[in-house]
Amino acid sequence: MDDTRLTTILVIGALTYALRLLPQLLFVGKTFSDAADRYLRYLSYALICGIISNVLFMTGDHIATAVAPQRAIALAVTVLVAHRTKNAVMGIAAGLVLVLLLAWLR
Amino acid sequence: MILHPRFRRGMKAAVPVWIAFVPSSIAWGIAAQASGLSLDEVLLLSACVYSGPAQFAVLAPLAAGTPALQVILAAFLVNLRFFPMSMALTPFFGAVKRRWLLFAAHFISASSFVIPYLQFRKEKESPAPDERAPESYGRSNLAFFLGVGMTSFLVWLVGSGAGFEIAQALPKNFDEGLKFILPAYFAGLLAIDVRGRVMVAVCLASLILAVPAVMWSPDWGWIITAVTVATVAWSLEQWTTRA
Repeated sequence: MDDTRLTTILVIGALTYALRLLPQLLFVGKTFSDAADRYLRYLSYALICGIISNVLFMTGDHIATAVAPQRAIALAVTVLVAHRTKNAVMGIAAGLVLVLLLAWLR
Repeated sequence: MILHPRFRRGMKAAVPVWIAFVPSSIAWGIAAQASGLSLDEVLLLSACVYSGPAQFAVLAPLAAGTPALQVILAAFLVNLRFFPMSMALTPFFGAVKRRWLLFAAHFISASSFVIPYLQFRKEKESPAPDERAPESYGRSNLAFFLGVGMTSFLVWLVGSGAGFEIAQALPKNFDEGLKFILPAYFAGLLAIDVRGRVMVAVCLASLILAVPAVMWSPDWGWIITAVTVATVAWSLEQWTTRA
């Protein structure tokens, strides 16, 4: 295993553990305000959407023009199906079939 | 603790989480293998981090060898949500010995938080509230939590390894599908979870603005954009609520 990757994974693990543990040790009996909770939720969602965009539509610092349109269509179908069926796996299945079909047709 | 009757009740309550974790952990293992991570790295990430969104967030930059600081910061920001989750559970673990808390904290995840939290709230608000001594009350709740958390963690870990093995058996022309699986899974989760105009606006703005941001800075652009979008949306919401 690559040393840099190993160190990075262990540091991420340690920080994540600290985020899980510290409230248990330091904030017993206290509550988190709704406003702060909402901010963390927005931050988490914004980061996830940023990653989705980065992974699906970008290659380095360029837009992946050859594949971005078909991935955007498949992503839209995934969201629509997941929202309608309230089932993320159904959404993936629909998007996956479409993205493979569009790649095959290209 | 695992012999406690409440541990078994927790296990039963966790069955929907296991069902949800099987496809998602397999999807994560498949995507990680496609990104070039080894089986050791896949299992270590799943075991140490145990957070689908964070593992997803670090996958591409980790595989591409981007600066470690960026990878760590991305995971930290995504995992900040564990802080309020853990805080919300503290009142239910009163008088539990510290060594048990040190052990149990690792199993806090979005799914293994919701089930025990709702169960504890329901029991607390029931017409006949729990009259046990604080230590017994805390231990009983911790046993339930571990029944959910430990078993879900094991499903996640085994599923990650299984996904890695499955990916090696997939045909070569499935590459486009492999790249799509994990972003699609998280888009699907957001589609179910996101409620209200502000959250929809946050998601759409981050999705669209990440493109020019990555063109400007491939390493940091999307992180800066996400933090900015969330901060602006939250500030506007707070301002309009007070006005």
